[in-house]
Amino acid sequence: MNPAPAYTVLAGTLMSLAGIHWDVQWHVDVGPDTFFTLPHLMLYSGSAIAGIASLVMVLRVTSAQRAGHPADPAVGGSPVRVLGGRFTAPLGYLVAGTGAALFLLYGLLDLWWHSLYGFDAVLDSPPHVALFISISLTMVGSVIVFAAARAQPWGRIGLVAGIPVLIMFTPLTTNAFSRLGLPIDARLAGSVFFAVCLVLMGAITLRRRRVALSIAVVLGLMQLFLWWFSPWAARVYADYVGLPLRDNLVGVPPLLPSIPMFMLVAALVIEGLLGLGRRRGWSARWLPQLVGAAGGVVVSLSMLVQMSSLSGGAGPVGRSAASVTAVVSDVLLGLTLGALAGFLAARFAVLLHLNAPAADQEGR
Amino acid sequence: MRLTTLLAPYVMGAVMLLTAAPAQAEPEQAYAPVEVVHTEQVQAGPYHLTVGFSTWPLRAMQSLDFTFVPDGGLSGKSGTLAMTGPGLKQGMRRESPLSRHPRKRDVWGLDIQSLPTAGQWSFTFTVNGPRGQGTGTLGNVTVLEQPGPPLALSWTLCSLPVLGLIAFLAVAWRRHRPSRRLALIGVLKIRTPYRP
Repeated sequence: MNPAPAYTVLAGTLMSLAGIHWDVQWHVDVGPDTFFTLPHLMLYSGSAIAGIASLVMVLRVTSAQRAGHPADPAVGGSPVRVLGGRFTAPLGYLVAGTGAALFLLYGLLDLWWHSLYGFDAVLDSPPHVALFISISLTMVGSVIVFAAARAQPWGRIGLVAGIPVLIMFTPLTTNAFSRLGLPIDARLAGSVFFAVCLVLMGAITLRRRRVALSIAVVLGLMQLFLWWFSPWAARVYADYVGLPLRDNLVGVPPLLPSIPMFMLVAALVIEGLLGLGRRRGWSARWLPQLVGAAGGVVVSLSMLVQMSSLSGGAGPVGRSAASVTAVVSDVLLGLTLGALAGFLAARFAVLLHLNAPAADQEGR
Repeated sequence: MRLTTLLAPYVMGAVMLLTAAPAQAEPEQAYAPVEVVHTEQVQAGPYHLTVGFSTWPLRAMQSLDFTFVPDGGLSGKSGTLAMTGPGLKQGMRRESPLSRHPRKRDVWGLDIQSLPTAGQWSFTFTVNGPRGQGTGTLGNVTVLEQPGPPLALSWTLCSLPVLGLIAFLAVAWRRHRPSRRLALIGVLKIRTPYRP
């Protein structure tokens, strides 16, 4: 089985991730915008590369199917009949490709939006949120593809690398809920929920030791890279085109404070509880919720420390980080969202296994 | 045909685009100049400021350039700008240090900035300089309703991808009933040792 298509999709999602961080940093540090900037090129190229690789795989599987070779679910997932059976698309590549196609479609809508409203860098405009969801779809497709190939070492490595990309990206989308005036901080809730759900889903899907830890390590490495890359790239590009940096810059990459920085601690708790539950024979009906709730509390409290230290004392929901109310409400938020994340993580892992049941044999 | 052969032209195209873009970026240095089509006057203690707008009247969500020009120039002066408007929570102010406009470095300003909601906005300037500190407010700046389609319509159209994702998960859930298969396929099979 050739890993190149799956890794091409992953490379596309990584380009999208780095491109969006570079683009937002550019808006914050430098400012003047047109559609034709290098960060936009990187962002759009990422989706284009992932989309083309997905399309090629759909065409290859369709062609093989027509030649009488049954599709192997380990290659991208269960085959799905598309357009009345004209095409046979592996589920993972279908989801990734649909996300890329939607990205280009909503890119056109975004261009029209900017022609009407100008180029103010508002992250939570309707077309921007649609673009973020579209990129997330491509990332979900990438996770499905690697999960289907989990019998192969490259499939497991790809899953451990693909899940952090999705975790890194989710705060962009959940940020849009901030304007609704919810009683809880939407970005905090999103970070707790998605980080716990995706890490736990990866650990349960692969059923190996240290998967949660590995995902957390890769997540940390990606954060470290972007902490360096996005300000560096914005400054180099500004120098290149001869534009000055703005006055009074804060110095913190704008998107990174919303991403859990202490995920390694939460992953240790998740690993420990999962292992303990297995050894003691705890019920599979509630073990994921228990592990999720514990991981959720750790992420929630660590985000309280993280966001208050990065924003100079203010807690993530606008109160003092040290207040008892803040700690209690964050513990409750971590418990409830973590438990829900655990519940869903186990079920998503089941769906990933059912998507490519043949590969399931290796883990038993 | 091997996949690498199929993908090669696209990868080469992407690389060419990436490498060609800096060469194209040179003419892009000529970003649009800051044009002021309307001005208002503010007295902040001993300092007189001229507030310029690149479009007038203002409309919600539509970005424009603001310039804040103190008499005598910026030399030796600093300050803050606090904006209040109907989109901000009761009593909250969007306060930030006065910064030079990136495309007009001899004045303070805000570039490609939009005001999120229609209604009455005010801009309060606090200026520190050789004659001490002074504060002044430009109040009752009217921001008209947003142009374009209603926001509800835009949000509906742009929610389709997330609704599609939810529908996809719902179909998969309904078809496979994962809660009933937790033990069946051994995702969390108790006493199943981890593989080393």
